[in-house]
Amino acid sequence: MKRTHIILIVIIAIAIGVIISTVGDSSSYENFGTAAANPEREYHVVGTLARVDEMHYDPEQNANLFKFYLQDNNGEVSEVVFYGTKPQDFERSEQVVIVGQMTGQHFTAQKILTKCPSKYTEDEIPIEAEYEATGTAPTTEG
Amino acid sequence: MIEYLGENLWAGRLGHAAVILSFIASVLAFISYAASTFNKPEGAVSWKKIGRTSFWLHSVGVLSIIVVLFYIIYNHLYEYNYAWSHASRALPAKYIISAFWEGQEGSFLLWTFWHMVIGWVLMYSTRHWESPVMAVVSLAQVALSSMLLGVYVLGYKVGSSPFILLREAMEAPIFANPDYLSFITDGNGLNPLLQNPWMVIHPPVLFLGFASTIVPFAFAIAGLLKKEYSSWLTPALPWTLFGVMILGTGIIMGAAWAYESLNFGGYWAWDPVENASLIPWLTMIGAVHVMHAYKKTGNSLPTTFILVIATFLLILYATFLTRSGILGESSVHAFTDLGMSGQLLVFLFAFLLLGAGLLITRWKGLPRSPKDEGTYTREFWLFMGTLILSLSAFQILISTSIPVFNKILGTNLAPPADPIAHYNRWQLPMAVLIMSLTTIGHFLKYRKTDVKAFYRSLIMPTVLAGALTIATMIPLKIYAWPYVLLIFASWFSLAGNGSVLVKQFGKIKNAGASVAHIGFALMMIGVLISSANKEVVSINESGVSYGEAFDAKANFENVLLWKNEGLEMNNYRVTYIGDSVAPPNHYYKVFYEKLNAKGEVEYNFMLYPNAQINPKMGLIANPDTKHFLLHDLYTHVTQVIDKDAYKDRPKWQEPKTVQFKGKGDTLMLAENLIIMEGMSLQMPADMADKVAGAEVAVAAKIRVKTLKGDIQLEPVYAIQNGTEFRYDATSEEAGLKITLNKIDPQAETVEFNIAEANPGPKEYIIMKAIKFPFINVLWIGTIILVIGFTMAIMQRYFEALRIEAREKQA
Repeated sequence: MKRTHIILIVIIAIAIGVIISTVGDSSSYENFGTAAANPEREYHVVGTLARVDEMHYDPEQNANLFKFYLQDNNGEVSEVVFYGTKPQDFERSEQVVIVGQMTGQHFTAQKILTKCPSKYTEDEIPIEAEYEATGTAPTTEG
Repeated sequence: MIEYLGENLWAGRLGHAAVILSFIASVLAFISYAASTFNKPEGAVSWKKIGRTSFWLHSVGVLSIIVVLFYIIYNHLYEYNYAWSHASRALPAKYIISAFWEGQEGSFLLWTFWHMVIGWVLMYSTRHWESPVMAVVSLAQVALSSMLLGVYVLGYKVGSSPFILLREAMEAPIFANPDYLSFITDGNGLNPLLQNPWMVIHPPVLFLGFASTIVPFAFAIAGLLKKEYSSWLTPALPWTLFGVMILGTGIIMGAAWAYESLNFGGYWAWDPVENASLIPWLTMIGAVHVMHAYKKTGNSLPTTFILVIATFLLILYATFLTRSGILGESSVHAFTDLGMSGQLLVFLFAFLLLGAGLLITRWKGLPRSPKDEGTYTREFWLFMGTLILSLSAFQILISTSIPVFNKILGTNLAPPADPIAHYNRWQLPMAVLIMSLTTIGHFLKYRKTDVKAFYRSLIMPTVLAGALTIATMIPLKIYAWPYVLLIFASWFSLAGNGSVLVKQFGKIKNAGASVAHIGFALMMIGVLISSANKEVVSINESGVSYGEAFDAKANFENVLLWKNEGLEMNNYRVTYIGDSVAPPNHYYKVFYEKLNAKGEVEYNFMLYPNAQINPKMGLIANPDTKHFLLHDLYTHVTQVIDKDAYKDRPKWQEPKTVQFKGKGDTLMLAENLIIMEGMSLQMPADMADKVAGAEVAVAAKIRVKTLKGDIQLEPVYAIQNGTEFRYDATSEEAGLKITLNKIDPQAETVEFNIAEANPGPKEYIIMKAIKFPFINVLWIGTIILVIGFTMAIMQRYFEALRIEAREKQA
């Protein structure tokens, strides 16, 4: 066997290793049910805010504790605990992705990603703001 | 049809015309150059002339698009979607340039621009290579120019024009009004995250890097077409080095922007968008190394072709990843989909077909070295190093492409929850090998090396690197063995290349490679030390229990600072002093005092982290960093008090009712002392008019001793037309409102209602502070790397000139 062949085999082996490790390390988009069944694994849970009134963040007590409720795409609601600051304008986010795992009764998030109705991505003219700025509402002639 | 008022339509028409000109002229240039490539010498010359003219026409088109688009943005012509979406009146002049390339269309334009400039240089420097090389460049221009067309062909949208009007881009009731424009007074503004000086310079540099990868690709295609498999390397090599240097600089500038502007607390986060440009950079570095090996020994030519072609395709793939919207949630800064992902895929596959197809058809005919390289040869280890670089690129490519696999295979995989651990597992060992090879490769000779001398030469760098490793790891407390190994490999690279550099002192012209390797080794050391020893400073040490069960994974990295109350953290006393507003930014003054072991202040400084409370995006924090020679202290605001929450609170507290008998009666309040001085029929000046003609009008004279001095308040009681009127006296400074309630002649008392103001919100910020040690090593390494590449480019450029002159003589 030529040395080139040995190198080739090693390269292929490493490449396969890379692919396997990517699949192994990848987390998956799941719901709370799956996360509760496998508390040792980290998951991405996609959902929307639920029970907004019970959202808790009191920076004067603890700036690094934020609790809220999330409803996953299956409709299941769970409490989420995040040890960090509450993202600004969190209430307004349309969709929330949390990364973390189930610990007992609640989901402990390592990371929170929010999808806001951002003006930089959405083609929507904020009409009210426009009229406010000019003081008068336009009259449509017709 | 509505006749709209006040729209400037000629700019858009001119822009559209320029877009069409640039597209058609690039098609012409491609056809002519391609015809020139395949024609007989006589025909080739005239086709080449048409090709050049077309390319110049194309350039006129591109430059006109740029001028018109800039005109629209600069003059706030918000009837155009592009200006409205990306700019606003408050935007500082320098960021108007950033607004220009914030959108997809603008960034494609930037890329087209660089291809155009590179095309100018190639037209007049590549001689007999001109036609095939320019044919490839023109083909790329056809693809890029079509991205700006914005026309529908058979129901498919081809490209997206930067010149469409706002009312064409979206539907809204406002457009029923012919005078709609007078209501659109301002644009949407530039994403605050991009309002950073690095974002003025990072995109053009990065896109120049992107654009320069086409040159080696075009030469390789030309070489395959003309079956001149090796002579293209000489003119292509300086361009490849240039591409590596510029793309690398662009990536590092992006990292600097992330470090200064994004909040993930670092310069590299293995974000898919960052990875997308890192992958072709790695393969291009590989290409540079096998190019050298081939030029000296005739080995590794097939690998050179594969890597040069792959690099350009990976640039296109990076564009597809970042522009198609496929990354979606997995990246913080991907572009949104403009409906052009299909078109991007068509280009990707077209160039894949061109590159891979041509390489496969010519594969058998590629010259190969008759025998394997010996183990103790430089060419063998250059090849091995290149393989490792390619594997490193492959690993990043696979992990970054997870969303693509999901699309193709219908799976539902999410990116690794801990990306740093995932990438480090592969990239750390590969980096160790690559760093070691930079020295080993230099100590080996092409073709044949004296084995004993080789091992002897390794002794000095090994010993030196070992000593430096110990000197680094112990004070910095780095004991994790993969890090220790990489530190060793980096010092080994530095020591080895340093000794090569010393030997090259006489012929410094040839020292580009060793200088670049030294720079790279320093970068690695800087990255390692600053990220491995990054230290969160903002840990609350006040001893206040949070009253919550501590989770093992909880890391309390944010502290709350009350205004004017110092907090000790990690040898600093930090005080939030106040804020200042320079719209749209809000600066928070944070005063740092460095304490020594005895608790005495060694030195102090002020940092101004700022935050834009953006109405649509929430809080956008921009950190402020104090740069020291040996470390950076980085501070950013994560939360500020929500003053709106206090808005609905009543201004005045429930009033107290008191009876005063006469002069000298007092009432003690928390911050004020109220003294009754008497009653008077003399009205205070501002009251005289109001009570003119009243049956009764009495004023109480009250002195208030406040912390800031005395003030006089005179509430008035009056009966006008048989009705009681009470005119209260208020003082904002004292936070007091006094009403003369009634006068009781029998009891000889005067009754007052005294209300105190509700205290305002007690202000605070929540911030995070991180110390990055030795980050300057990373920046210095980057500069040395660029110097090394510049030297290498000069060397290879002059070499190419010499070879050309020799060929001319022959």
